[in-house]
Amino acid sequence: MGPKLYKSVIEDVINEVRELFLDEGVDEQVLLELKTLWENKLLQSKAVEGFHTEEQAALQAAQQQQQQQQQVQQVQQVQQVTQPAQAQQVILPPQQQQAPQQQVIVQDSKILQHMSATGMSAAATAATLALPTGVTPYQQLITSQGQILQVVRAPNGAQYIIQQPQQQILLQQQMQPGGVQAPVIQQVRPITQVLAPLQGGLPQQTGVIIQPQQIVLASGNKVQGSTQVMQAAMAQQPGQAATAQVQQVQQAQGAAAPQAQPQQQAQAQAQPQAQQPPMMLQVDGAGDTSSEEDEDEEEEYDEDDEEEKDKDGGEDGQVEEEPLNSGDDVSDEEDQELFDTENVVVCQYDKIHRSKNKWKFHLKDGIMNLNGRDYVFSKAIGDAEW
Amino acid sequence: MAYQLYRNTTLGNSLQESLDELIQTQQITPQLALQVLLQFDKAINTALASRVRNRVNFRGSLNTYRFCDNVWTFVLNDVEFREVTDLVKVDKVKIVACDGKSESTQNKMDK
Repeated sequence: MGPKLYKSVIEDVINEVRELFLDEGVDEQVLLELKTLWENKLLQSKAVEGFHTEEQAALQAAQQQQQQQQQVQQVQQVQQVTQPAQAQQVILPPQQQQAPQQQVIVQDSKILQHMSATGMSAAATAATLALPTGVTPYQQLITSQGQILQVVRAPNGAQYIIQQPQQQILLQQQMQPGGVQAPVIQQVRPITQVLAPLQGGLPQQTGVIIQPQQIVLASGNKVQGSTQVMQAAMAQQPGQAATAQVQQVQQAQGAAAPQAQPQQQAQAQAQPQAQQPPMMLQVDGAGDTSSEEDEDEEEEYDEDDEEEKDKDGGEDGQVEEEPLNSGDDVSDEEDQELFDTENVVVCQYDKIHRSKNKWKFHLKDGIMNLNGRDYVFSKAIGDAEW
Repeated sequence: MAYQLYRNTTLGNSLQESLDELIQTQQITPQLALQVLLQFDKAINTALASRVRNRVNFRGSLNTYRFCDNVWTFVLNDVEFREVTDLVKVDKVKIVACDGKSESTQNKMDK
């Protein structure tokens, strides 16, 4: 079923409620947000194919810009990206679908002004960034912050946006309230350094350093607030909010890369990490300086627990058994298909007929969700035996 | 008033979830959300009646049936849904159907 029907319904509803919103004194902004949330969820559900349009992408971008005036780095529906084989310098999340990917670019170009502020040509850019072969700068974009983005097309067809390590660049992550996803950066190579300012958009002196053969993939996830970009300020400005935001790497699928650990911004400022040039994103534990403290705490904690464990041994044993026993139950659901969806048909009936155990159904105006996908019908006729 | 039947669909659920989020962040009132849903009911009913023009056939075995408050609820097993273009098979499907003829009882329907 094409997405047109759903889209038209959404448009109708949004337009109809616009008046309601205004009557209540609710800002148009909220209406747009509703629309965006709604469409995003539909997209996520994959019940309808190919839902996004450029229009809506631009709409989202406008909305985002209005809200926080942040660099449009990411469209909400960014899913985890399969890691490219080649080492590439990447910041922004490529999206799985090609169409939305292009929309990101389109969206950016619509909003951002094309400036060649530094006068860098494509070739110069490539050389500067030491882009690996096959990756060609595609487009230069300037964000509202005056940041130069380089849209790069990789051989695998994915498009990335690279930040140029030139001037002061404010790289802001979007953390919007509500259901908007925060960008996640997934590390493929351990050494990566990307700079980003605080979420609040505080001006900072940060220099972006992208070392060759490092990949930073940002992929969005639905988890709010738990993902932040970890970036350490290379420009070791004392006192400056050299923010190092660590983005928690969300490994949904087969990401073999080590995970970066989330760190608080405050910590990042204080820690000497900010001053280490090739930044090693931490893989192991929490901040360096506090590692000793953690060890001490853990030791103390263990000693106390040992005594308790002996006492609780019996209880623990029983607790563990109960889940084991509960697995004996036969569950019908396991025999069902792989999809989690309960297949549902919501409709209206014209006529339901039965003869002995033979049933005939005459249905109309229905929406079906079968195997995770949505279908619609104006009439449905069925037979079943009871 | 139109059937609230279609709120439990992908379209309807995503709308409800979105509205819930906005309520939680206090960007809209629950009252407004309700109005939106009512509007959705109207819109989806109209759209289905006017914009959709296709037929589907299905066959399967009836597991359970229920008729209550003028609402039929069936559970079928091993069903094949056949449209001109394609065929979809499911092991189990639940069909909820409101009365397609009478408009008088629609206000009570809440599914």
